[in-house]
Amino acid sequence: MRSLAAALALLAALLPPAAMPAGSAGAAIVVSSKIDTEGALLGNMILELLAARGLPVDNRLALGPTAILRAAILSKAIDLYPEYTGNGAFFFHRENDPAWRDWRRGYELVKKLDWEKNRLVWLTPAPADNSWVIAVRRDVARRHHLKTMEDFARYINGGGYIKLAASAEFVESPAALPAFEKTYGFHLSDRQLVTLAGGNTAATERAAAEGMAGVNAAMAYGTDGALAALGLLALADDKGAEIVYAPAPVVRAAVLARYPAIAPALARLFATLTLGRLQRLNAEIAVAGKSAAAVAAAYLRAGHFLR
Amino acid sequence: MTPAAARRLVVRTPLRVRNPVLFTLVITAAIALALTGFVDEAPNRLLSGRPIALLPAAGAPATAGLAALLALLLLAALMPAGAALHRAVAAASGLLLLLALAAVGAAARHLAAAAPPAVRIAPGAGFWLLAGCAALALADALQRLSAGPALALLAAAAIGGVAAVLALAGVFDALSLVHEYVSRRRLFAAALLRHLVLVAASVGPALVLGTPLGLAAARWRRLSGPLFAVLGAVQTIPSIALFALLIAPLAALARAAPALAAWGVAGIGVAPAIIALFVYALLPIVRNTAAGVLGVDAGVIEAARGMGLSPRQIFWKIELPLALPLILAGLRIVTVQTIGLAVVAALIGAGGLGRFVFEGLGAYALDLVLLGALPVVFLALIADFVFGAMSAALRRRVQP
Repeated sequence: MRSLAAALALLAALLPPAAMPAGSAGAAIVVSSKIDTEGALLGNMILELLAARGLPVDNRLALGPTAILRAAILSKAIDLYPEYTGNGAFFFHRENDPAWRDWRRGYELVKKLDWEKNRLVWLTPAPADNSWVIAVRRDVARRHHLKTMEDFARYINGGGYIKLAASAEFVESPAALPAFEKTYGFHLSDRQLVTLAGGNTAATERAAAEGMAGVNAAMAYGTDGALAALGLLALADDKGAEIVYAPAPVVRAAVLARYPAIAPALARLFATLTLGRLQRLNAEIAVAGKSAAAVAAAYLRAGHFLR
Repeated sequence: MTPAAARRLVVRTPLRVRNPVLFTLVITAAIALALTGFVDEAPNRLLSGRPIALLPAAGAPATAGLAALLALLLLAALMPAGAALHRAVAAASGLLLLLALAAVGAAARHLAAAAPPAVRIAPGAGFWLLAGCAALALADALQRLSAGPALALLAAAAIGGVAAVLALAGVFDALSLVHEYVSRRRLFAAALLRHLVLVAASVGPALVLGTPLGLAAARWRRLSGPLFAVLGAVQTIPSIALFALLIAPLAALARAAPALAAWGVAGIGVAPAIIALFVYALLPIVRNTAAGVLGVDAGVIEAARGMGLSPRQIFWKIELPLALPLILAGLRIVTVQTIGLAVVAALIGAGGLGRFVFEGLGAYALDLVLLGALPVVFLALIADFVFGAMSAALRRRVQP
């Protein structure tokens, strides 16, 4: 019995740091992020920058997928995390609003909706778009002169060989592949598709890069760092068929009121995060295998953000 | 030579397979080394590796050493059994395991020296099969020696100790798994501790509540039906679904009772993970406790009653000690199960080793998946071993 009591005492001693209350840990800003490469990168940047400005921060990075982050900030379990403007279409069930297809209008819309409904503030987004793209193998692109989605449609309609690896969501969601098909006037049959249920871009890109099962094109994300290393080329969506996913910090209004310095500090940082830079930084994590914290810190130091 | 003489020769020859287990393991390892890569070399972290065979990867001395040990073990499989032979097999298998580890580290270092920095070198199928066969040969030899947990522990400690020395000396530094570890050194320590906390904080309370519940279920049969139905139904809910189902009620609870929120009760994070793991842990503990008590021979209890023992004395002196091995077996199952299930908790922000598994799956970086999965396997093996040793000790005490 004594050993049991001792074990329970040990457990009690171990628990508090692990089960630290999220929202109420003094006045610290609970910074969180998604459990993916870009989430880790942006989350570490935000955490480090705010800490360097002398703001109290609580590290809750890599919390989970989008649904968990959204539930967490709505229930005040976290205070601040980077989200994509385009996800507003799904948060507010307005997938058909054309505003999402424009970088600025999409941001303005989600900012307005989240402020009115949830008192969440969307800070300045990065001038980048992490939306769905179709990436093809470089050798295929070179041989058939593919640079844009219009080239892609011309190639397919001319009977060119294509096998696209994509998730079921990408194939079925009206905002994804069907939007491409409608805008550029082509159609992919079942035989031209390899659908991976629950597949992510890492799996589809690898399938294309290694030519598994004849795959030569992949569903991908615009700011993906792995594309260049895998020998893939993202085709430009010049007509804006897809929803724009610009990364932006989202913060609870009460927390922003307590620490107004958050907004200008993060605005300066996010204004520098262009598509090319995000791709390069993501590649340092995903391809070279550096830690997100180290890549984020190096970027902040090089850009003189830590003064 | 007449057929009869030939037959006599065959019968008399000492060389026949006397230990089919060891024989199969050695042949499997040899075939694996001959046909598959000892290490895999990938151009970067995301692409698949190209297998490189043992000889070009590890060089002639290491190849010769491994081949010699395998040949010795093959010979041992053909020799008459005996304690001395089993001891020799155990020693040779342990040595084989360590040599394989050293060879894979040296091979990675040798290949990395001549490759660009992005290149990743990982142990290949040949290495994994060789290491697995060596470990199984060692376990088999110890079992044939009917070695107690003390000797098994000694063997594990010796191999673990040498492996740790090799790791500290930097032998494995060129392997991709170590690259992943080095860039996450501090995160790894925190994740490992969090994983242990998740397991302890769910299995501990499950034991405290589950044992009385099991005793009650054994005493009152009317309770046991509904109780097992509920616990069994919970067990069939997929873990990820149970975690997700807990988010809404716990978040509502935290809003309704700020005092609870101050203690860390929230829809996401550690609280729902511990609750879900606790609920999963209940069934095996309750069921094994009930089975243990019900399994006590009615004749023994009759005899105790005849000797004038009170029901209370019968419970504490007869029923509980006799049920203890089964209760412990339940605890063993539950601990191993919870160590594995806690991986999924990373998806609801509870952290633990699962964060590496899911981060790795998301980026298709399989070395990162291994960084999370291998410690989970080792934790499960250690827990299994510890509880196994405890129940062996208990059996010896209960049945002298």
